[in-house]
Amino acid sequence: MRKTLLKTDNLSKSFSSGGTLQHVLKNIDLELYEGDFTVIMGASGAGKSTLLYALSGMDTPSLGTITFGDQVISDMSQDELAVFRRRHCGFVFQQIYLMDGMSVMDNVLAAGLLVNKDKSGLLSRAKELFAMVDISEETQRKFPAQVSGGEAQRAGIVRALINRPELLFADEPTGALNSKTGLNVLDTLTAFHAQGQSVVMVTHDMRSARRGNRILYLKDGVILGECDLGKYVHGDSKRHDRLASFLAEMGW
Amino acid sequence: MRKSILLARSNLRRAKGQAAAIAVLIFLAAFMLNLWLMLSIDYKQNFERCHDRLHAEHVTFAADQDSGDMHDFLTETFEEDKRTKESFMDSCMHMVSIFDYNGGEINSEFVFLEKEAALSRPIGRAEIVEEGNYTSGIYMPVLYKSDEIEIGNTIDISIGGGRVSYTVCGFFNSAMAGSHNCSMCELILTEDKYKELMDLGYAPQAVLCSVRLKDKAESEDYEAMLKNAVSLRYPDVRTVSNSYALVSVSRYVSQTICSGVVSAMAFFILLIALVVIASNIINYIQENMKDLGALKAVGYTGHQLMSSLVFQFLGLSLIFCTAGALASYILFPALNAMMVAQTGIPYRIRFLPIPFALTLAILDGAVFLTVWLSSRRIKRIEPIIALRQGLKTHNFKRNHVPLERTRMPLHFALALKTTLSGIKNNVIVCITMLVLSLVVVFSGLMLENMIADMAPFIHLIVGETADSCVNVRVEEEEDFLKKMEEDARVEKIYLYNSVEVRHVGGIGLMAAVCDDFSKVNNQDGVIDGRFPRYDNEIAVAAKYAGERNLEIGDEIRITADGKEAAYIISGFTQTTNNLGKDCLLTREGYERLGSFANVSYYMNLSEETDIEEFHSEIKESFKNAVNAVINIDEVITGASSVYVSLMKMIVAAVLILSVVIIAFVLYLLVRTTLNNKKKDYGILKALGFTTGQLVLQTALSFMPAVIFSAAVGMTICSFIINPLTAVFLRNMGIVKCTFTVPVLFNILAGAGLVLAAFLIACLLSVKIRRITPKELVAGE
Amino acid sequence: MKGRTFLTGILCILVVEIAAFILFSIGDMESTQDAVLVNEALKSVEADWNTIEEHEDRTGLDYTVLDMDGTVLYKTRASLSESINKAVIHRDTILDIQVDDFIVGKMIIYNGSEQIFRAWRGKMTVILVSGVLLQGVVCAIYLIYLNRVVIKPFQKLKGFAERIAGGNLDIPLEMDRQNLFGVFTESFDLMRSELKKARRAEAEANESKKELVAKLSHDIKTPVASIKAASEVGMALTDNERLRDNYAQIIRKADQINTLISNLFTATLEELRQLSVITEDMESREIRRMLENADYLRRAVLPDVPECILSADRLRLQQVFDNIFANAYKYAGTDVNAAVYREGGRLAVSIEDHGGGISAEELPLIKEKFRRGSNAKNIEGAGLGLYISDYFMKEMHGELAIENGTDGLKVTVVIPLSGHGGK
Repeated sequence: MRKTLLKTDNLSKSFSSGGTLQHVLKNIDLELYEGDFTVIMGASGAGKSTLLYALSGMDTPSLGTITFGDQVISDMSQDELAVFRRRHCGFVFQQIYLMDGMSVMDNVLAAGLLVNKDKSGLLSRAKELFAMVDISEETQRKFPAQVSGGEAQRAGIVRALINRPELLFADEPTGALNSKTGLNVLDTLTAFHAQGQSVVMVTHDMRSARRGNRILYLKDGVILGECDLGKYVHGDSKRHDRLASFLAEMGW
Repeated sequence: MRKSILLARSNLRRAKGQAAAIAVLIFLAAFMLNLWLMLSIDYKQNFERCHDRLHAEHVTFAADQDSGDMHDFLTETFEEDKRTKESFMDSCMHMVSIFDYNGGEINSEFVFLEKEAALSRPIGRAEIVEEGNYTSGIYMPVLYKSDEIEIGNTIDISIGGGRVSYTVCGFFNSAMAGSHNCSMCELILTEDKYKELMDLGYAPQAVLCSVRLKDKAESEDYEAMLKNAVSLRYPDVRTVSNSYALVSVSRYVSQTICSGVVSAMAFFILLIALVVIASNIINYIQENMKDLGALKAVGYTGHQLMSSLVFQFLGLSLIFCTAGALASYILFPALNAMMVAQTGIPYRIRFLPIPFALTLAILDGAVFLTVWLSSRRIKRIEPIIALRQGLKTHNFKRNHVPLERTRMPLHFALALKTTLSGIKNNVIVCITMLVLSLVVVFSGLMLENMIADMAPFIHLIVGETADSCVNVRVEEEEDFLKKMEEDARVEKIYLYNSVEVRHVGGIGLMAAVCDDFSKVNNQDGVIDGRFPRYDNEIAVAAKYAGERNLEIGDEIRITADGKEAAYIISGFTQTTNNLGKDCLLTREGYERLGSFANVSYYMNLSEETDIEEFHSEIKESFKNAVNAVINIDEVITGASSVYVSLMKMIVAAVLILSVVIIAFVLYLLVRTTLNNKKKDYGILKALGFTTGQLVLQTALSFMPAVIFSAAVGMTICSFIINPLTAVFLRNMGIVKCTFTVPVLFNILAGAGLVLAAFLIACLLSVKIRRITPKELVAGE
Repeated sequence: MKGRTFLTGILCILVVEIAAFILFSIGDMESTQDAVLVNEALKSVEADWNTIEEHEDRTGLDYTVLDMDGTVLYKTRASLSESINKAVIHRDTILDIQVDDFIVGKMIIYNGSEQIFRAWRGKMTVILVSGVLLQGVVCAIYLIYLNRVVIKPFQKLKGFAERIAGGNLDIPLEMDRQNLFGVFTESFDLMRSELKKARRAEAEANESKKELVAKLSHDIKTPVASIKAASEVGMALTDNERLRDNYAQIIRKADQINTLISNLFTATLEELRQLSVITEDMESREIRRMLENADYLRRAVLPDVPECILSADRLRLQQVFDNIFANAYKYAGTDVNAAVYREGGRLAVSIEDHGGGISAEELPLIKEKFRRGSNAKNIEGAGLGLYISDYFMKEMHGELAIENGTDGLKVTVVIPLSGHGGK
């Protein structure tokens, strides 16, 4: 039995637009397990990102509860959520969202110093991570606008991992990148997963989805089905076929 | 045209807060500006109107001899002089008198007139402003209307050596003799009381002449001519006089100060409003680059887009200018009441179109210019480029405060990054804080020197002060001195006498004569050079010297009592008693011209001495020798209470205003920062920064500029506040101020400003709470 | 931008220098005598005249005191003019000493303007030299700055241009927005990246063309294969050469068309019904409001509703509740209890009256069309209510269950949760 990291109960999210309520997520009961690379797939508008942001405590659900470890995060105030996020969650955004006014290194440290007061330890952690994602010291000193998209996204991953979060959330991490650099970023994520990092990724791209070991398919705010790719090794064409047939079944 | 208005409306709707803040600033500026213009344009005119209405004279002259001979001589003198237009002469009584006023006492030259005569003078008549049912008593100038001096009350007046009591029947207004600031002041008695006073003989009979001139600019020269002619012919006759030039200035001293302060505030606020508008527009262009590009692409011309901004701000400023200018009429009555207490001339408030129009023109002109100039860059926007990339707002010149190396706490470091990346904001903060520190230092100066301890202010305004002043006859002088020097209560005694002398080729000057200037209490009296030490030296008023182009070392000729002698100018003095027509002479120096019949001695008494008791003792032991004793403290308190209350009001207004301004400027800046950094704040929140931390960061990011400019402002202002105040008080004859600058107060006030700024910034940036990380994805 | 500030700075310094020079050239050197000081000296000598030997200078001036015979009575230091004649030559000031209105002697104030002039000249020289030095330093700094901003970037550009010419498009031009040619270099780099993009786009276009061709050929291959197979069979069965050929061809084409049509139209049109039920998402809290609406006698105890999102037709659901409440009040005539609870993927709303229920035989039939309970004889009704309600609930993938509860008839409306499909 795998350890449950995060559990939702009857999770729903509604937005009101133009007077009518729109239910983006409906009664979702979901468990995420430690060590998984969970991929949430679905067509655009299916509520993937909404689900991700609700799971990660960036947004509060309209109904239902979310339990992370033993904390019920759906009841937390904004500030409590902020403190929760900085310790337990890492984020990788589609638009990367490095802060323009700060160098790459400062972007990482700004997140790190929030939790870790031991600066030298933090610096060595940052350097280690940067080395793993292959970002040179020179690049670390540059501003986000001066580095390539792939580098920026890898820096974003470093920023997300600097505080050793239990769960890494990635929202279409390759969405704003070209295919080659996107592949690079995916490799990075896969590598971190291999080291035991739990990852939740939202994507609508099959090539990205293949990296996960557990695929959830979301449609109209409901998890339509899930598929386990864990038994196939990476690179095995069966992995691809299994995913393709699953998606076909879901009406992809 | 229509399209521009449409655009303007949508712009306004989008930035309600900004518009509100600018509106308030413009409102305040218009308020102040209109007040100032009313004070400086119309209030002063009020004296002219009063002067015309009463057909008042340009030179008033009274001589203590009511004989046919004197009448003939004066008539002849008037007729001979071509400058005379018309003249009038009648009899009165004239004497130095003392009465209590506002907790102090008034000690001045008074002329007593009979009621009917005073009201029917063809030139320089008095008018009754307020009157009770009493038929026997005294009419006082409006200036002295106070709690104690009110219709029906009894007033005790010491006239010369005697003491009389009158019922106050009413109050009157006289253009040229309605205030102790005019060298002479009228008191009107009913017929029976006039006769009674004449019979008592406390005040000698005198002739009172009023002369209207063809050209009122000649008034000072004419006055000097007249005094000289009379003193040549009748050396023993005591005379008193004033001129249009002196009175018109002296009656508006506080109005001048007040309008000076108000005008300064008005322009400061206007400056801040303009800076805020400019930054607002620049921000607007930056934020809406894409929209502007799109509008241009659709076919709007740069001109149309600019005029939409112009409409927007001009409309706003027109509305709030009008509102502000009208609102100033609400404050005007209170101000007027305070002013009337000082000027003594009633003023009727009415709508003044010229100041109103000027206020609108100045403010809207300035707003128009600012908007036009700062929105010019819209013309340069190329639609394609603007649409594609917006405007590159960030620069990567240098990585300020790398977190890797800095030892600062995280939030300080992040705040500093924000500070260093927004230089424009810092400049606005600096300008505001500099202006505010000037304002605060000024308030501190006034608090310290007028309200906490009046001595510096008294020295500036009144000149020399001591505890007691005793006027003795020259024959008994030695006895008196001997006695005083033996008296343990007397710490210091020196001769300090005022006499009138005339600068040959110039005007009459009031000479303060002292036997030894090293003894006087106000050692700051001479602001340049030194006090006269030898019999051929003189110190003259700096203002007068400036007008006549006199310099230290020049020799001038002085005449008095028919004699003339030359003096070297050893220094410049400043007092406002005679509005800059003063000079200082040593006793030997004066005695080259004339001699004293009576001399005044100033004394410093030991702390525990009861001044009143001391005075009555002196009166006892020198019954015949002493002419008058004056409790100087009381005189001063009476005369200065008006200034103190005026200043208190100004200080309070100034402090409230400065807090309001800080709040507004910070509001705008915080708003801009929040707009510009919305995305960053979203990211930071996603990373786990709490609202509190971000609020702290935002507030801190303003602090370097605030602290720096507060420190610099306070320091600079502490040094320049004295000269600056002197500029304000120039009309009063003050060229150099030597107020003590309250260092501790300034430091505390500076710290207070910084703290206030911090708290306000925190309060304003609480809006950050509304920024949520999910807005990052909301755009998809 | 930075260049502009720099230039402004230089200009400012220049203006200040010029202003300083003008000030110094206009401001004439101070060569006037201090009359007050001289007066003081004269007065002190006059005061001390009778004891002139003990006189001491207090003014700091240099002067000599002579009596009427020209003998020197006092001098402040040596080498001053000691006679009237010397004084005249040296342009000294000569004053009469008056005691009791008699001139008793002369006082010669030494003319020190030469020294003043010398000191002034020295000061001027220092200022001039430092001014020129400052200007020099500023110019040197500017030259270095120009070198950094203009010449170096151009050298860099040269290498860049050579690389592009050589076909190497991967190395970007280092951008430095602050230098004077920032925009210029940026557009150079833009040119490089556009070239590179164009090259890549060309390659990609080629790629997709190949793919299309491959796919089309596959699609075409299939019918061609069947044509081939059928024609083979036809060939085997028919002797008539021409008939065989044509027949085979017709069948082949028909099959082909059939396949294509069956692919196109797989879906069939659904039967249109009068009572349409359109489900949509709704929040469970709306149930409470519906119950309140249905409870027209206000005799029911309404429960809290667990929050979730339901999939239902609001209008039809309201009709169902209306019907149930109306039945309860009509037939049982008692108070009503309601309960709402979640049941896995569904939400159950049970409504129970206290009317004792109906007999067990009637229970299964009660939902049928035109069926009314035995207790309904004296009450108007058509017997359609529960039939329609049941139909609605089925359409919503829900259920309408009727049973006898402890006190009376218990009707349970089961509504599926959104996304659970009624499971």
